[in-house]
Formats: sequence, structure tokens, C-alpha cells
Amino acid sequence: MNRRAWSLAVITFKEGIRDRTLYGIGLFALMIMGLSLVVTGFFLRELHKVTVDINISAITFGGLLMIFFLSVNLMSKDLDKRTIYSVLSKPFSRTQYLIGKFLGLVLLSLAAVCMLTLISTLTIWAVKSQYPIYFKEFVWLAVFQAVFAEFLMFIVLNAVVIFFSTVTTSSFLTLLFTISTYIVGQTVEEVAWFIQSQANEIQLTTAVQAVVKITQYIVPNLSVYDLKIRAAHGLPISSSYLLSITGYSLIYSAVLLLFASIIFSRRELT
Amino acid sequence: MSTSRLIPVVLIVALVLYGAAWRHLHDERDVFLQENYMDYTLPSRVTGPAAMEFKGIVSDFLFLKVITFLGEKIGKNEQLGVRHFNYLEESVNTITDLDPYFWDAYLFADMLFTWELGEYKAANKLLLKARQYRTNDYRVPYYLGFNYFFFLKDNINGAKYLMEASKLPGSPYYLASLAARLSAYALEHRTGIIFLKEMIRDTENERIKNDFMLRIKTLEIMDRLEQKVSEYQKNYQKQPSSLTELVTAGLIDKIPDDPYGGEFILLENGRVYTTSKMVRQK
Repeated sequence: MNRRAWSLAVITFKEGIRDRTLYGIGLFALMIMGLSLVVTGFFLRELHKVTVDINISAITFGGLLMIFFLSVNLMSKDLDKRTIYSVLSKPFSRTQYLIGKFLGLVLLSLAAVCMLTLISTLTIWAVKSQYPIYFKEFVWLAVFQAVFAEFLMFIVLNAVVIFFSTVTTSSFLTLLFTISTYIVGQTVEEVAWFIQSQANEIQLTTAVQAVVKITQYIVPNLSVYDLKIRAAHGLPISSSYLLSITGYSLIYSAVLLLFASIIFSRRELT
Repeated sequence: MSTSRLIPVVLIVALVLYGAAWRHLHDERDVFLQENYMDYTLPSRVTGPAAMEFKGIVSDFLFLKVITFLGEKIGKNEQLGVRHFNYLEESVNTITDLDPYFWDAYLFADMLFTWELGEYKAANKLLLKARQYRTNDYRVPYYLGFNYFFFLKDNINGAKYLMEASKLPGSPYYLASLAARLSAYALEHRTGIIFLKEMIRDTENERIKNDFMLRIKTLEIMDRLEQKVSEYQKNYQKQPSSLTELVTAGLIDKIPDDPYGGEFILLENGRVYTTSKMVRQK
């Protein structure tokens, strides 16, 4: 089973690499990183912070664009263009198909993150050698930890793409749901915290509080993967935290894929 | 004329028109921005969730906006007022909520609050916020101590924070002894001179450097006058009633001028001070 899923993953990966979207996203991230070389000079002392902020944000943004456009597209293409019939006529189970697709998308994200990280490492290095006295607080480890955390978030988001493409019938809806999940996932922690801290001042109905509470369990908490500010200030995070978010990411994705495969195996493909 | 020859002509005309339109819009936009510059920053309750995981880069952007806006005002020597103070305070609160470690933002606001706006309490409040996050950075209590010592004339709190700063890694060697002397000789002019000379080395801003230099000069004159007073006390076994007695006793040629434009006076406890209180007289 694993070998079949793996071969599908490789095919998905190759298909993604061939897509022009990837070049556009790469070019965009490159431009932002080039911008960081110029913009950094406008600041006073904490140039290391600004450089790291811009570079990791560019990696994140590039990765997100890839998931929203490339991953969604690759997933829905099979269904839209009916090529899924020829795939499923092979000795594949539908679950294997989903796992293969998911692994392919994760591989694509990994490749993109590696490429963008390589470029941003060079950019940061260039700025660092230009202004060495402003990089005393800078720590490479913190930067790579933040990038790793972003990759964990991309794994979750790819699972979200797979899940929604089994539920919906159009790629546009998948895109919309994925972006919504991303936004809610990024803000849910802050909103919940806000409600908690303002509980005495603002009277919220129990219904609203219940909704927020339930949302917190259902939607992935994506703020946990945001280590950018710590990276920018050269503050590495503990390995137990990294282990915990890795576990969260893998388990959440697995559960989501399980639901996706249950839904997908009952779905009528017309 | 055939179509193929017409196209380049039309293209050139269109480009010229575009150039003119762009210039016109640019000029109009300048006027618009002068009149409607958005000198407000949304509070972090809104900006925080809206920035999602891009809080760091958003804080950079907001900070860049603040330094270009206020920097232009300072560059043009415009008087900063309450409006600028409110804008700066709001913005820096938001920026440091988004990225609570952002030392550039803290320092920039501290400098403007103290040197330009005279809002010492706001400056210290902000530095106390920085102190919660940048726990290992000696510069935070150092600037706090400096504000207490220099602006608020509160040597006890000044000494407290300088002592705290001297214990943190990377702090300059002189801090500990300076803090000790600040608390022991709460009003000694010489201590101030040493402190300011060290501050000058860390300061890049020419205007602030000149301010320091002026104050050092004044403190040195007062220190010299106090030495003469004690010399007088030694010679005559009593305290002079005013500085003019130093002149009649021949210890000094004349009472020196206060660089700030005030007059030096002898206090009852034998200390020399100035009527300008080391604030520039207009």
C-alpha cells in the first residue's frame, strides 16, 4: 500500500514542479528578499530583526500562496477534469489515493520551503556581513526553528486542502474554506484570550463563548507555529516546545485525513 | 495613413499623456498627503489579530511610518506638540504590543518623549514595559536610571536602576561605581559630569550630544565654584553669603556666565546652582 501511495506522491510532486505557478511564487519571494537588502538600511539599530522578519515572512507568504493556489489546484484537477477515473481504475483504494496526494503536496511544500530558506539564508548572510555590528543578538538556530515551525503549519494546511476537496465540489470552494480556516486558525487563540481577559467588561452571551470554545477545539491553532518574533530577536525555543508542535501537527493532519477518507470513500463521483 | 504607421504615433501620444497625467496626480497627491496625513495608528486589539502571523513585519512597517513622519517634522525643526505626542504614544504602544522585544521602537520613543516632548512619565512607563520583556538587556534599566537622574532629578530611583543595569551582561564597567556614587552623593556635580561624558560616547545624535556638552560645561563651572566656596570656608572659617564675596576675596575674577542663560547662585547649604535650572532660557 505504501509503495502505491508513494508513487502517486511522486507523480503529484512532479506535476506540481511542472506548474508555472511555482516559478511565480519563487520570483515573488525572491523580490521580497531583495527588498529586505534595501529596506533594512532605513532602520536604526535592530537591523537583524528587520531582516529576519522580512525573510521569514517571505518564506511563509510564498508557502501559503503555494498551498492556496497550487495545492488546491492539484487536488481539484483530478476531480474537475475527470482524470481521477483513470487513477482509481488502477489498483488503488480511495484512502491510498488521498494519502498519496497528501504526501505529494507535503513534498512540494518541503521543496518550496527548502528553496526559499536557501535564498533567505544567503540574503540574511549578505545583510549580516554588510552590518556586522548590528547582528550581535542574531542566532541562526532561532531562524531555522521558525522556518521548521512554518513547515509544520504547511503540513496541517495541506491536510486541510485535502479534507475540503473531498467535501466540496469546486476548487473555488476549497480555496475559500482553506483560506478561512487559515485566518480563523491564526486568530482564534488571540480572540479567545481577548474574550477571557475582557470577560468582566464585555458581557458576551454564553452562546458566543461556547462557539469560541468549540472553534478552539475544531480549528487548528496555527498561532503555535509562529516563532518569527522570537527568531527575529535571536531567542531559540526549547526542543520540548518543538516536539509538542510537531506532534500536534502530525496528529491533527492524520485525524483530518481520516475524516477525509471516510467522506471520500462514500462520495459518488459523477 | 495606414494602421501600422498610426500605432507608434498613438503609442507615443499615449505615453506623453500618461507622463503628464502621472505628474499631475503626483503633485495632487502630495497636497492630499500634506493635508490628510494619517497620523494615527490602530490599537493593537485590532492590529494584532489583523496582522495574523505577520506581526513582526507589520511592526516594522508601522515603525518605519512613525520614524519617517516624525523624522520629517524634526528635520524641518517643527515644534512637536500634543498631537505628535498622542500619535507617538499610540503607535509605539501598538508596535510594542505586536513585537514586545522591539528595542528600536522603545528607544526612539524614549528619546522623543524626553528630549523633544518633555513627557518623562510616558517615557518611563514605556521603558518599564520594555523591562518586562528584555530582561537581559542592561540598556533598559540604564535609560530608566538616566531619565530619573537627568530629567526627573531623582537620584534615588536613578541609582536603583543603574545598579540593576550594572548587574546585567554587557553593561559598561563604570555603571556600578556610578550608581553607588549617585546614591551616596546625591547632589554631587562631578558624578553628573562622569555620567554625561560616558553618555556622549554612546550617542550618535548631534543635537543631544550638544545638549550633553552644554550641561557638562555648566556642571564643571558649578563644580569649580563649589571648590572655591570650600576654599573660602577654609580661609575665613565661615560660609560666604553670596558668590560676589568670592570675587571680593579674590578667589575668582568674576561670577562666570551660565551657558544656559541663567545666573549662578549660592544656596544656603553651600551648594552652587543656577537660576536657569539647566533649561535653556529664551
